[in-house]
Amino acid sequence: MSGRILVVEDDERIRSSMRLALEGEGYDVHDAASGEEALDLFADAPTDVALIDLMLPGMDGFECCRALRRQSAVPIIIVTARADTHDVVAGLEAGADDYVTKPFVAKELAARIRALLRRARPPEEDDPGALTFGTLQLLPEQGVLRHLDGEEVHCTRTEFRLLCELAASPNKVLSREQLLDRVWGYDYFGDGRLVDVHIRRLRTKVEPDPTLPRHILTVRGMGYKLVP
Amino acid sequence: MADPTAVPTAGRPPFWRRLGIGARITSIFVLGALALSFSMGGLSYFTTRHFLVAERVSAAQHQAFANATLLRSTLSTINKQSANPSNLLASLDAGSNSHSALIYNGKPYSSSLSLSASSIPIGLRDAVLGGSAATQTYREGAQSLPQIAVGVPIPSVHAAYFEVFSLSDLDHTLRVLGLALIAAGIVTTLLGAALGRFASDRSLRPLAGVSRAAVAIAGGQLDTRLKSDPADSDLVGLTTSFNAMVDELQVRIEREARFNSDVSHELRSPLTTLSASLEVLEADHDTLPPRAQSALQLLGEDLRRFQRMVGDLLEMSRADAGSVDVFLQEVNVCELVQRAVDAGMRSLGEEAARPRVVLGEGVRSLRVDVDKRRFERVMANLLENAANYGGGATVVSVTALAAGHGGVGVVDGAAGNGDGTAAGADHAGPGLGEVEIGVEDDGPGIDPLERSKVFERFFRGPVSGRRGTGTGSGLGLALVAEHVSLMHGRVRVEDAPSGGARIVIAIPVATTDDASDGTDESNASDESDGSDTSGAPDAPDAPVGSDAPDGSEW
Repeated sequence: MSGRILVVEDDERIRSSMRLALEGEGYDVHDAASGEEALDLFADAPTDVALIDLMLPGMDGFECCRALRRQSAVPIIIVTARADTHDVVAGLEAGADDYVTKPFVAKELAARIRALLRRARPPEEDDPGALTFGTLQLLPEQGVLRHLDGEEVHCTRTEFRLLCELAASPNKVLSREQLLDRVWGYDYFGDGRLVDVHIRRLRTKVEPDPTLPRHILTVRGMGYKLVP
Repeated sequence: MADPTAVPTAGRPPFWRRLGIGARITSIFVLGALALSFSMGGLSYFTTRHFLVAERVSAAQHQAFANATLLRSTLSTINKQSANPSNLLASLDAGSNSHSALIYNGKPYSSSLSLSASSIPIGLRDAVLGGSAATQTYREGAQSLPQIAVGVPIPSVHAAYFEVFSLSDLDHTLRVLGLALIAAGIVTTLLGAALGRFASDRSLRPLAGVSRAAVAIAGGQLDTRLKSDPADSDLVGLTTSFNAMVDELQVRIEREARFNSDVSHELRSPLTTLSASLEVLEADHDTLPPRAQSALQLLGEDLRRFQRMVGDLLEMSRADAGSVDVFLQEVNVCELVQRAVDAGMRSLGEEAARPRVVLGEGVRSLRVDVDKRRFERVMANLLENAANYGGGATVVSVTALAAGHGGVGVVDGAAGNGDGTAAGADHAGPGLGEVEIGVEDDGPGIDPLERSKVFERFFRGPVSGRRGTGTGSGLGLALVAEHVSLMHGRVRVEDAPSGGARIVIAIPVATTDDASDGTDESNASDESDGSDTSGAPDAPDAPVGSDAPDGSEW
């Protein structure tokens, strides 16, 4: 599997080694030492996955993430020093799709990228079919979420995939583990915050009032379900 | 435990020193009250007595002189032969509490049978017969009744007049007064004791505050400070210096924790480069010459070990700095343990034998609040520990403990490292009891004397019992204790039935699965409790949706 990867990392040695490792996995790697440089590179050529270190000089990783997200639905992986801080949640809220912690294993990183690229392609045979809930219409086969009046709702591919999984079995509770597995490809010990933050992001797009969700409901201690 | 700063003394210290400061203050108050009340009481008693006796003596003299004057005039006017002194005495105006006696022409006469001339003190009689008036107080009779005897010579008629006054009423009064004063003294002393007690409590109260603060600080609450009372100039010094000490302590601890954290953190960047570069080399492993392959393998093994150590150190320093976030999530305990064992065995490598997972009675429906990532680390560390020291884990058991169970509160593994990490918060299973997860190995077991140390940092078992080349960071079990305590659980070590070691984690039960919708536990009810579910890493009760995730084999 190949793809163009944008690596944003200020430490030159880490950047070089990441380039070597990811090129070894068959990716086309472009790197940037700062957020500003990354945005320029991103504007120049289409990027399949962006890998952003949160600790950057000047424009930090969160800002870089938000800037990318404003102009594109490109899958973003953030690189953070610690998994058990608010940084992860803040990064996800800034628009990231996934995260890895330093020091990461290149194989693990490659696997995360693979999972995102897989998801970035239109969903295949497990197509749930069109579903209408509230004033929204989900058309999985076309990769479209739109209002009934035809106006399209922009969401990232991860958000879209998550919505499709929930829509595939309406009114049925899906656990965080199931969603992590199906959407991100994580096993049982995947980070449930990925699901929680993405659900939150999704609600701001599909719920009339995100603080009082009517379609994407939390089932305490169990998981989430979609109610048309 | 001997206080190293205590000066050794020969023999027992004096009694005074053995009293607590509170007891000493109270004793001082008691002794003060005792001395004060009894000196004041004694003074009042003797003053009163002196005054009352003097008054009675003066009254007695007055009466005796008046009677003597009357007698002299009577005796000088009447016929000496016809005079009957006894009648004369009887006619005198004597008070009810006095008796008179007369020695007339050498013969004694008395107004009362109880009084005879012989009972008048000889000294007094001689003095009066010698021609001078005299007064004497004395005690007489079996009951030693106090009396005043007044003697008045009447030389013109060759007579001497004596009058004896009983002081028994005065004696009674004084006795009552004495008793009242003693009672007052006792009451005052008791009040003094109570006051002393109150004062010592009052003055020691700040010390109790200091003690509480010290305990809190020792327990890790470094932001504890003594409240300063600016009105109390005596305590300001203590409060200020105590708080200054804690400030300094906190700064040092934080500096140290930050240093640890910074060191581990700084190590991550080169580690990231190293591990990424290593993987590039490993991808070309087969094209390298054999010597380079061996070197690469050594490099790889130690790099991963180093990486794990840095990870563990960082985890530890975060815990020390108190900057940990715990993401508790309610999960089914059986699934959790199965999954954690699977994940732990995966990281141990293919040659390791998977332990049997034994589910006890009634545990299938139990749900616990855990941080899954931490639990995974705990299980991985326990399995790794068993592999390194006990020849690999043999059994992982899950047992339910009802609420209010006894005898499990013993935390054998309470770390002796002073920060109480192993003991954890003392959450006795609330309401629903606890679930115990035990990991057993087949090794030599852990010496009871060493059980308190295994949860200490960098503790390593005896070299003889170690397998392999020590790939652990030495922080594994310390981190287990840390993680478990963050999840409100406890950890301990005991003997496994097989003779090996058994490390037990007890976690409070959050809820039970009675309201389960059946999605998670579709097969669980088919198996009998206590059954052995060892076998393939894919446990039979895999949840719905295990559609072979193709991205999860990393």
